[in-house]
Amino acid sequence: MTTSTVRQWSDNTRGYAMNAPALIAILLLVAYPIGYSFWVSLHRDNLAQPAARKLIGLDNYLSLVDDPAFLASLRVSALFVLVVLVVTVVLGLVLALVLNETFMGRGVLRSLVLLPWAMPGVVNGLMWRTVFDAKTGALNGVLTELGWIDSYQAWLASESGAFFFTAFAQVWNTLPFTVIILLAGLSTIPRELYDAATVDRAGVVQRFRQVTVPWLLHPLLIVLILETMNAFRAFDTIYVLTGGGPGDATTTVALLTVQRVLTYTDVGLGSAYAWVITLITLVISVAYVGLLYRRGSFEV
Amino acid sequence: MTTIPLRYRVPWKKIAVYALAVVFALYLVLPFYWIVAMSFMPEVDANSVPPQWIPQHPTLENYTAFVDPTGAQAMVGSRAVRETPFALGNSLLVALLTAVLNLVLGVFAAYSFSRIRFRGSQVLLMVYLLTRMVPGIAIIIPYYLLMRELDLLDTYWALILSYTTFALPVTIWVLKDFFRAVPRELEDAAKVDRCGWFRMMWSVVLPVSAPGLVAAAVFAFMTAWNEFMFALFLTSTAASKTMPVIAANFATDINTQFTVMAASGVLAVLPPLVLVLIFQRLIVQGMAAGSVKG
Repeated sequence: MTTSTVRQWSDNTRGYAMNAPALIAILLLVAYPIGYSFWVSLHRDNLAQPAARKLIGLDNYLSLVDDPAFLASLRVSALFVLVVLVVTVVLGLVLALVLNETFMGRGVLRSLVLLPWAMPGVVNGLMWRTVFDAKTGALNGVLTELGWIDSYQAWLASESGAFFFTAFAQVWNTLPFTVIILLAGLSTIPRELYDAATVDRAGVVQRFRQVTVPWLLHPLLIVLILETMNAFRAFDTIYVLTGGGPGDATTTVALLTVQRVLTYTDVGLGSAYAWVITLITLVISVAYVGLLYRRGSFEV
Repeated sequence: MTTIPLRYRVPWKKIAVYALAVVFALYLVLPFYWIVAMSFMPEVDANSVPPQWIPQHPTLENYTAFVDPTGAQAMVGSRAVRETPFALGNSLLVALLTAVLNLVLGVFAAYSFSRIRFRGSQVLLMVYLLTRMVPGIAIIIPYYLLMRELDLLDTYWALILSYTTFALPVTIWVLKDFFRAVPRELEDAAKVDRCGWFRMMWSVVLPVSAPGLVAAAVFAFMTAWNEFMFALFLTSTAASKTMPVIAANFATDINTQFTVMAASGVLAVLPPLVLVLIFQRLIVQGMAAGSVKG
């Protein structure tokens, strides 16, 4: 390709030519699989019984309505998203507000915030397993030495215990993202607004409500949407920490789908699960893109 | 009674900020400290009640186990132990190649958004962003079937191809902003010198936007290094298993020695942690700009 030929091309052609490599990769490796996945979901298809493969239309989807395992996993996922979201946003907001102040050691704390972000989900799960362990865990050690518990507890043995401790582990992993987005939002608030509010004799709470919250609304929305999506597809940490148990207390939709495919090799039904997840995610994504679009982040 | 100056006020806010800062610092560090400490303890010490907060008999045996397992380690959970060194190599190679492939594919697309006005460019940017939103679980099954058909299961390529598409949207979004910041005059000067497009990119645009290239490469590297679900489906032996798969192998084996598992966890977190510490500012910028994690 020489300069002169490039110059002769219209901008449209050049634009698409330059996007061609990336677009081909995405079409082949994302778009095509999603379409193929829908096709598979219309079949009774178990890898263990290739002979029994059969086109059954929407039967896999229709069966979801009274599939107790699937419905239970949806409930677990919804509750998991709710708990993780609330705790992450509250903790993240407090931490971002702290980091927005000037104090000794702020730089250190800012670096520490990135630690959980660097942690692969699997290692996060593995780490919390050693912390929550019933016989040797650090949590038991700390609480015993503080005198808050008399004897070591099996934190992950009960259904509610496993659920909340798994959510707790997930929060630790996703907190940095929330903090950084909120902190970036906080840093855009002009100082004068606080000064003006102070002159007007507004108290701490009033200043927070009248200045901080309105300015933070947009970053908060972004955090809410992206963290919802994150929590909804959470897999690594749960897989390692509880494997979905005890019973199905921590079996989210993502976990159930993987079990369906890896354990039961039922790719037909698994694909139907996956498509439900895709549709839910799609709704959230459209909301997200719409939000960015309105804010004008999309200018080219 | 001590005299308090009339206008003295207890600095509640300052106290609250410092107290919260300490609490958060402990919250962020302690769990990580625990597996690091554990990875340097002999098994007996790690199992002691109450726990040893500081290793009393620090040892490297949990790390040397990966190359030279002792009798018990070779028997219990031996497979994961033996596969760890291979997994480290696999992870490094896959992550590096993913980063390189991302830059190669991303540079063209990103440049088009920063300098060329073409119809549908906004829609295209949105398409990339939506690609980023697609949950891995939605494509893993057909992707697995596809790789099975192409005979690519348990190879690097199955992993690299999928990770490249995960990271590509972010690469494009990050790079386009950096390219846009390159002064137009520099490019014009290159054109006056009759440089071709590739020459101009190579000798002007890319060097000027080096921080962007680094940021994009770091994100792509971390995406590939940390990914677990695809690796779980696509790999089965030491030929391509990555560190997260090995770490999960340790965790799901009831016979696992916690200390060796902790050591494998520390090894798996080390490369991304080092990258984050070195490129802290770039990463924070990138995250804030492109809302990267997902």
